[in-house]
Amino acid sequence: MHRYKFVLTRPVQFLPVLFGISVITFILVRLIPGDPARNILGTRATPTALANIRAQYGLDQPIWLQYFYFLKNLANGEMGKSILYKIDVLPLISTRIEPTLTLVLASVVLSIVIALPMSAIAARNVGRAPDHAVRIVSTFGIGLPPFWLGLMLIILFSVQLGVLPVSGYGSSLGDKLAHLVLPSLTVALSLSTVLTRSLRSAMVEALKSDVATAARARGMPEGIVFWRHVVPNSLVPTINLLAVNIGWLIGGTVVVESVFALPGMGQLLVRAIFSRDYMVVQGVAMTFACATVLVNFIADIVTVAVDPRVKL
Amino acid sequence: MSASVLSVKDLTVSVRMDDSPRTLIDHVSFDLAKGEILGLVGESGSGKSLLCRTLVRLMPSSLITIDAGTVVLAGRDLTRISDAEMLEVRGGEIGMIFQNPTSHLDPVMRIGDQIAEGIRYHQKIGAAQAREAAVEILTQVGFPDPIRQYDSYPHEFSGGMRQRAMIGVALSCDPKILIADEPTTALDVTIQAQILALLMDIRDKRGLSIILITHDLGIVAQTCDRIAVMQGGRLLEQGPKRQILARPQDPYTINLINSHPSMPDQATGPAARDENPRPITKPLLEIDDLHVDFRSGGSLFKAGAKTVKAVSGVSLQVMPGETIGIVGESGSGKSTLARAILGLTEISSGHVTFDGIDVGQQRTAGLAKLRRETAMVFQDPYNALNPRMTIGQTLAEVLAVQGKVARLAIPGRVGELLDLVGLDREFAQRKPRSMSGGQCQRAGIARALAVDPKMIIADECVAALDVTIQAQIIALFRELTLKMNLTLLFIAHDLAIVRNLCERVVVMYRGEVVEEGRSDEVFARPKHEYTAALIAAIPDIDPDRPLLGQKASGSVQSILPELPVKRMPS
Repeated sequence: MHRYKFVLTRPVQFLPVLFGISVITFILVRLIPGDPARNILGTRATPTALANIRAQYGLDQPIWLQYFYFLKNLANGEMGKSILYKIDVLPLISTRIEPTLTLVLASVVLSIVIALPMSAIAARNVGRAPDHAVRIVSTFGIGLPPFWLGLMLIILFSVQLGVLPVSGYGSSLGDKLAHLVLPSLTVALSLSTVLTRSLRSAMVEALKSDVATAARARGMPEGIVFWRHVVPNSLVPTINLLAVNIGWLIGGTVVVESVFALPGMGQLLVRAIFSRDYMVVQGVAMTFACATVLVNFIADIVTVAVDPRVKL
Repeated sequence: MSASVLSVKDLTVSVRMDDSPRTLIDHVSFDLAKGEILGLVGESGSGKSLLCRTLVRLMPSSLITIDAGTVVLAGRDLTRISDAEMLEVRGGEIGMIFQNPTSHLDPVMRIGDQIAEGIRYHQKIGAAQAREAAVEILTQVGFPDPIRQYDSYPHEFSGGMRQRAMIGVALSCDPKILIADEPTTALDVTIQAQILALLMDIRDKRGLSIILITHDLGIVAQTCDRIAVMQGGRLLEQGPKRQILARPQDPYTINLINSHPSMPDQATGPAARDENPRPITKPLLEIDDLHVDFRSGGSLFKAGAKTVKAVSGVSLQVMPGETIGIVGESGSGKSTLARAILGLTEISSGHVTFDGIDVGQQRTAGLAKLRRETAMVFQDPYNALNPRMTIGQTLAEVLAVQGKVARLAIPGRVGELLDLVGLDREFAQRKPRSMSGGQCQRAGIARALAVDPKMIIADECVAALDVTIQAQIIALFRELTLKMNLTLLFIAHDLAIVRNLCERVVVMYRGEVVEEGRSDEVFARPKHEYTAALIAAIPDIDPDRPLLGQKASGSVQSILPELPVKRMPS
């Protein structure tokens, strides 16, 4: 199992990456024009009150010292206190992480469920009607902006048919899932178009490959040739494409969460930026960064599992 | 002769493009007897591969159709049976082996599973039984540890072992006929001998009939019972091996036999140049105790890297005007040596001195001189030429960069270069994709000559070409070295070619020079056992000089342990 040794050694490399991300987000957040104290107290606050607030959150310290305290807190498992919500950032994020995480997971699963059959149908009928149909649908899908698609789905399923909730998030598991159907479908429809195109072209290549010819030459019917030889050989490039897209998706949930009023990380981030809630912005950005690094790590593990030739 | 198992009559295949059908296979008829090995010989494009694909109806495109003729196997006409019946024939009745086992084996599937797959599907048996049967087949095709190796993936094996696995896959469903499409072309000569011995062994044990497609008449002479010669989709002649080799009727067959590199070419042999002995001068290229090591493994944070010695302690002197052949199998370090000479690969220790300048010590000056006075010809002529540029543009680019020819004189010089390599001047307007492999390689040589080099390094530059084209390119090299007093370092795995072209030969094995000397002496009286094994493994066109592998199978292997898969950083 020496091929999986990187699972233990790779995380060491994450430390410098995460350190770099923390420096960049810390500085960028403070470059945004505006003053958190004035945001809290309003325009008519007295200079003394403003100074008090700044002192309370350590905003009167030099920036390098602020960063030092930030790191010190981080080492203790804290991310500071939200200026807006008046509670610690970490518990705040942990209440918001669930909707976003489930949304991303559901979207990814759904997009694979859509993309695999679509690309299979297209690849096995290259140049014929089903192939063209899939291409038209996926081109259409790439062109649709998610916020518009989300609204259309709401109109169709919630307003006209009345089968699914319009927006928000439930409390029981079933209720939560019902609230997640439309948002994850919105994301999955966009994501699956990208995956379909990549998978289709990989499958078309693999169908013409020597591996497929050899399988046919030993009398394998076309179905076995396709699912046992063509599909596994087509997955590797798509895994990496999916990983890149999930990274993008984690940040991109902001739009979909707004459309469907999901109380997730995206929403939290938008509000924190508007109120210059430095600690929350930092915390959310760090969480997103960790998630992206983690997703790519998982993609590497999956690639090694799928393709025995890969050594990391 | 026993009754035929396969009978092909008037088989005609054509491709329909732009509604004008073009005939690819033209009324081909032949019979294959039980236990017979039929050698199907011809150059690339002659239709020999397509013919065999047609037998199992696996044509490479749906535009290619069978127009007429019959393929009768056990009373059934394979051109007429249903697709479902055809599935039973493929694998079950006719097994196939391909030229490139690396691309034909599924890289993400265990070797044993690929063998078991066919067994499970055709014989409808359970996984455990199929696994047992597959292990048995792995043993038969020469895997030393079949139970463990069942679970290995193709990339973990060398080319020879992969081809053994491919043969195992083809044998899995116990076919009556084996079609082997250039099964040894991608392999080293000693491995080739082993694979051919294995095929004959399988024929003897199982009573199989084999159709062996090859461009190498030497292989045919060594292994086949009958020969069929194809050109342009037609079967020119067929008959018993000795009859065809001794008394070929068709002019094409005669040419093919005469082009075979194992036919010593007395009139224009390399010895011709020795008539005017050259004065003793300084060597043009001097290699002194050259080492090239590659690090493999390890990472940014952990050491633990192993060093692979690609070239270890090679010393060589090349006199101006000399023609030296460097031979060895893949992984022997001959290409690395060439790259190190040209400064394309870093030298670990030792010296390369070109025309008095130590390339290691005076790197900038040495490389500048090297690049102005040496040129390289590559193995794959298509990939080595820029597909977007015409040949004229390619040559003009070199001439302009070198600056040895006045700008206005460039078009004239391009014409001269094309004349030199025997290409029509109108080729200056052509792009590589509209040219044949041989024409492309001539253009590649013209580009090397454009540098006006003192030395040319040719790395396997005829390996990808057909035999008759090979013979032409070799003749061209011979002519050019004589005419221009070129120094030529000719790297090849094909010893027969080196014997015909080079005055001196250097034999490399595992990064070391094991033997060096005048070609005729080395080939007549090899001193090192590796050289002797290499020479013995060349399939001779004379069927009475048997292949080493046939007399004592396994003797090559006992001298030469299987090399690990080559991993060369590019």
